[in-house]
Amino acid sequence: MSRALVLVGHGSHLNANSSEPVWRHADTIRSRRLFDEVRVGLWKEEPSLSRVLDGCTADEVFVVPMFISTGYFTKTVVPREMGLTGTTTVRHGQVIRYTPPVGVHDSLANVIVERAREVGAGPDDAVVVLGHGTRRDSDSEKNVYRMADLVRERSLFAEVVAVFLDQEPSMLNMLDLVRAPRVTVVPLFIADGWHVGQTIPDDLSLEGVETRRSGRLVRYSGPVGTHDSLADVILELVEGVPAG
Amino acid sequence: MTGLGEIWIRNVGEGISIGVGEAIERLPSTVPAIRDRVRHDDRGSYRPLSGARGLPAGWHVRISEELPLDAAIEAVYPLATVHRAQFRDGTLRVVSLDEVLDRQSGRYEIASNLSSAGRDLVRSVLCDNVCVRVPVWAGSSPGIDDIPCPEPCSVLVALAREAAIWETARPVATDPDPDVEFAEFDLPGNVLRETYLARAREEQAES
Ligand code: SF4
Repeated sequence: MSRALVLVGHGSHLNANSSEPVWRHADTIRSRRLFDEVRVGLWKEEPSLSRVLDGCTADEVFVVPMFISTGYFTKTVVPREMGLTGTTTVRHGQVIRYTPPVGVHDSLANVIVERAREVGAGPDDAVVVLGHGTRRDSDSEKNVYRMADLVRERSLFAEVVAVFLDQEPSMLNMLDLVRAPRVTVVPLFIADGWHVGQTIPDDLSLEGVETRRSGRLVRYSGPVGTHDSLADVILELVEGVPAG
Repeated sequence: MTGLGEIWIRNVGEGISIGVGEAIERLPSTVPAIRDRVRHDDRGSYRPLSGARGLPAGWHVRISEELPLDAAIEAVYPLATVHRAQFRDGTLRVVSLDEVLDRQSGRYEIASNLSSAGRDLVRSVLCDNVCVRVPVWAGSSPGIDDIPCPEPCSVLVALAREAAIWETARPVATDPDPDVEFAEFDLPGNVLRETYLARAREEQAES
């Protein structure tokens, strides 16, 4: 039985970096030759979500949303554009399996840990998991807290807290929420786009990977979505899809 | 030598190559190398529409066992090969602009308010003037060397959204400014925006 993997993402009309991790993880997984085909489908770029399956003849297709949480895109836009009717859609004999987004898989906590350690976070430090947050859908908020809990359960860092770009507790108050002298901020975002590259460092007055602030050291890591190990999270997500 | 859109395809002594313009820079024979090369135009502006004329020129790439011709073309014009084959076989699934605008939600829901004249105009300004793909969804007939476009793309939907807003409050005209990004339709000076608004004004004056 032939199998295809389709990574679906947002993409952008304005930011060339937005879809870069989606393409890169697809290239990585393709090179491992685990699937007969690996494709990318994007809401704002090509191939579009509505056409990405054109010419795909695999018997079984795994569609993995490259989003940080469930929400408007994973619940409304992707299923509508791709004609998906649920977790399993059968069309012209092809079985299409729609997985949860990569950002809700428990293994994402490993990527957060990797990101924090890469910039130097150690056992005496605080890790701040920074999510977007939204007023529209609380799934996104819950997922940020869940990821912070999963990282905290590993007891690798002195403190682990969740903060948000767009809701309370705000990232602007993060230093009031932890006591450790060294604080590592890990953005729970897919792309190194506008927020990660611009709005967050601007709003937090970050000067790069390390910033000294009121006698403390603030470290800023890359986003989880661009980390190479996200390809493994995608594969675990697909392996976890029940057969049948 | 043959071609597709703005790329040439050559089969000379050392094998098949594809490229754009003069064969100055030889890219590694990989899909990411081609994808990265065509992501920005020669002025360094991001190209969100793969079919937009003005591919960066001066590069070529050798087709190899690791880089089949279809994969190289796919990196420049996604799905072009599939859509050409499906059009030839009569199996290409064609979706109209009305259907695409009607199914929009959220930020793009308002695009379905666009008048029929406005729908014709977005197609003319974007598809006919800017894109190498041929909009089969609008009734156009691609030639043997063309790339058929079966369904309005997201850039067209984004332009339709702004055009629907402009129909309720016509913005003042501004000179086109090539430094405004290709798809920043809400910014005065955006070339497609100013082209659309000028054409809409002309059509209004004529009627
Ligand atoms: S809808 Fe028009 S602009 Fe968009 S890809 Fe098709 S032909 Fe090109």
